[in-house]
Amino acid sequence: MKKLIEIKDLTKSFDDVQVLSNINLYIRENEFITLLGPSGCGKTTLLRLIGGFEFPDSGLITFEGKDLKSLPPHDRKINTVFQKYALFPHLNVFHNIAFGLKIKKLPKQDIDDAVKNVLKLVKLEGFEDRNIKTLSGGQQQRVAIARAVVNKPRLLLLDEPLAALDLKLRQDMQYELKEMQRALGITFIFVTHDQEEALTMSDTVVVMRDGEILQIGTPEDIYNEPKNRFVASFIGESNIVAGVMIKDYLVNFEGFQFTCVDKGFDPNQDVDVVIRPEDIELVPAKGEIDGVVTDMIFKGVHYEIIVDVKGKEYVIHSINPQKIGAKVSITFEPEAIHVMEKNAKFT
Amino acid sequence: MDQDVSKHNGFIRFIQNTMNSVLSGGKQYITRFKTGSIGTKMSHLVMGSGNIYHKQFAKGLIFLGLQVLFLSIFIFNPEINNTPIGFKALGNFITLGTEEGTLFGALADNSMLMLLFGVVTFGLIMVFIITYLTNIKSAYASDLLVRSGAKPTTFKDDVTALFDSRFHVLLLTPTIIGVLTFTILPTLFMIFIAFTDFDREVRPGLNLFKWVGFENFTAIFTGTGEIAERFFPVLGWTLIWAFFATFTCYIAGILLALVINKRTVKFKKLWRTVFILTIALPQFISLLAMQQILSEHGPVNAALLNIGLIDEPFAFLSQAKTATTARISVLTINLWIGVPYTMLMTSGILMNVPKDTYEAAQIDGASKRQAFFNITAPYIIFITTPYLITSFIGNITSFNIIFLLTGGEPNVPGNIAGKTDLLVTWLYRLTIEEGDVNIGSVIAIFTFIITASATLISYRRSKAYKEEDTFQ
Ligand SMILES: Nc1ncnc2c1ncn2[C@@H]1O[C@H](COP(=O)(O)OP(=O)(O)OP(=O)(O)O)[C@@H](O)[C@H]1O
Ligand SMILES: [Mg+2]
Repeated sequence: MKKLIEIKDLTKSFDDVQVLSNINLYIRENEFITLLGPSGCGKTTLLRLIGGFEFPDSGLITFEGKDLKSLPPHDRKINTVFQKYALFPHLNVFHNIAFGLKIKKLPKQDIDDAVKNVLKLVKLEGFEDRNIKTLSGGQQQRVAIARAVVNKPRLLLLDEPLAALDLKLRQDMQYELKEMQRALGITFIFVTHDQEEALTMSDTVVVMRDGEILQIGTPEDIYNEPKNRFVASFIGESNIVAGVMIKDYLVNFEGFQFTCVDKGFDPNQDVDVVIRPEDIELVPAKGEIDGVVTDMIFKGVHYEIIVDVKGKEYVIHSINPQKIGAKVSITFEPEAIHVMEKNAKFT
Repeated sequence: MDQDVSKHNGFIRFIQNTMNSVLSGGKQYITRFKTGSIGTKMSHLVMGSGNIYHKQFAKGLIFLGLQVLFLSIFIFNPEINNTPIGFKALGNFITLGTEEGTLFGALADNSMLMLLFGVVTFGLIMVFIITYLTNIKSAYASDLLVRSGAKPTTFKDDVTALFDSRFHVLLLTPTIIGVLTFTILPTLFMIFIAFTDFDREVRPGLNLFKWVGFENFTAIFTGTGEIAERFFPVLGWTLIWAFFATFTCYIAGILLALVINKRTVKFKKLWRTVFILTIALPQFISLLAMQQILSEHGPVNAALLNIGLIDEPFAFLSQAKTATTARISVLTINLWIGVPYTMLMTSGILMNVPKDTYEAAQIDGASKRQAFFNITAPYIIFITTPYLITSFIGNITSFNIIFLLTGGEPNVPGNIAGKTDLLVTWLYRLTIEEGDVNIGSVIAIFTFIITASATLISYRRSKAYKEEDTFQ
């Protein structure tokens, strides 16, 4: 697929505080890309730079190869869905959506048709005359999306658009947004700090922290092959242990050697080892990584079991319940072991 | 549409609720009489007997005492200033006195006191009815306690409860009594006066006034007589004044706020402080100062004379040659005094217009101008409508400004309503200076209806805004 947006060596600071440093990223056409990271890591700032509401200190943003620097927001073929919707409270649904089209002085018939079409898309047919303040949060959200897509942008920026919705509605909207993106064939850049949301919706996830990109990849990559401790713990629950990579395909942790599928480290390099809770199987104590079951919670599909191994707690997801106080051993397949470089900065 | 329905529902529900409570109250009265003990039955006739029957002597005696007190007032009709309160007061309220005074010192019936005491007596009757029902309720409550095997509460219990679980009753009672005597009673009195011929000819105690029905109202609102001729110009000017006073301040305040909020303006804090200082100054001082400054020998005239713009002092206010001059003067001074308020208020609103909204408009390609006229302006108007209404009401009744600046003048010979008189200042002059109390009352009622309905409207609107907060 063609690259739509390319960001090169982008930096941005506010009042001497570096908010984004050295951002490199490209976004392909029709991609659903998610910026994921903890609060304050610079996601909104990156979106605003792309949208044209802020200007980079250095670096480049290109749109289909052309520098965006001198283009004002409305000439960018980029539209934004704001976190708090930013609807015009004194206009009804129709006029909110038609605002941009009217400014462009489109013929009335075209405006009517366009509004009708997007309302259908966001499943708000017949809501034209409704007053904004009589709409529910979810409906306002849909109007905001309709207003953004009615201008036929090539790229839609969504800044935590679902954060204000309750869980059930949010899940429905996740699904619908994804549908909409497919139907419209528009590229979406979606901001969230909810890792589950990022994993379920995206083609590509960009994990950020402190103004830097830590990892870019498909949801599977990010989940299965986190690059460091931070990504591993930010994306879902995991057990992270310090270890030593003895040689290719052999790692030592918790005092035992295990075969694994990782290679390419220096001999005896210090590493972090990740094992996902669902990859661990518990067996009666057999003298390897032994521990005691200290807690168990029923989570619907599985049990979440906590096992204490010499003072370190392991989290295990299993469909088989255990007795609290039972002596068990932790076992896993070589494929379940994921070895990451140890990085002092990301602990 | 939805709102209309709910408004109606609200009203109908109110009527239904009232009817229901009256009905259930009546039913309760009957049940209590039928199923109550002999003491409770007696209480329906002699207050306190139910309590005494249950050995609650103190309480019972208080009720009994109240009944004796009320009945004796009602039967013996004590007199204040030769005017009785009690049963006779009800008759007097209807006639407003029959005894004409004579030129040789014999006093007439005091119609004003008769009217007042009539209202007071009605109040006393209401209070008595409430006490009477309380007495039955109290007796019945004791019945129920005894029936369930408990002891009736002692007087000490009751007093303790008054300071504890029923503390609100103790606190609210003086408040309610205060409101009744100092707000409801005078208001009722004033409303009744509007239906009499209590005008400048009447000296209460020397001659009588009487009920005249809606005569005063028709004289003012439909008549072509003298009073109507004065009323409509004053009403017209009041509305014009309220409209311009509100909107000049409002628009100037917004413009000023826009200017001060502009990024290029330096010393923003200093400017704001200057305006806040003008607010801190008591209004009547600024008004009196303005009146002095613009007076015949004031600095403005002196300066204008000096530079030779005018040959003789120019009358801006009460001595102004034309009504228009005086009116423009008061509106301008009002603008000068009122603009800091609006400026500060809109300044806050402008800072709070969500930045997202501008940006959303910007993405849609709106220019700065379009963004202002399509977003900022409607937003400000939308948010400030309740303020506009309150300020309009405030201006309808803005007594200070007119009274201190012009006193309602310039006057037209033979007409007490001056050219800058508002309804309220005219009302003041009519009653205090002229003694046309009845006409004054009609105007007060009329002003109250205007302001009350406007207040209600703004209250309803402001509630709508609270709901709207959710998406800002
Ligand atoms: N206009 C500004 N002036 C100064 N500092 C700013 C400005 N905008 C953002 N920042 C700072 O930049 C950093 C990144 O902010 P940003 O809003 O991009 O974070 P975010 O990742 O979107 O966080 P959240 O998930 O909480 O929305 C924060 O430390 C913030 O305080
Ligand atoms: Mg943000």
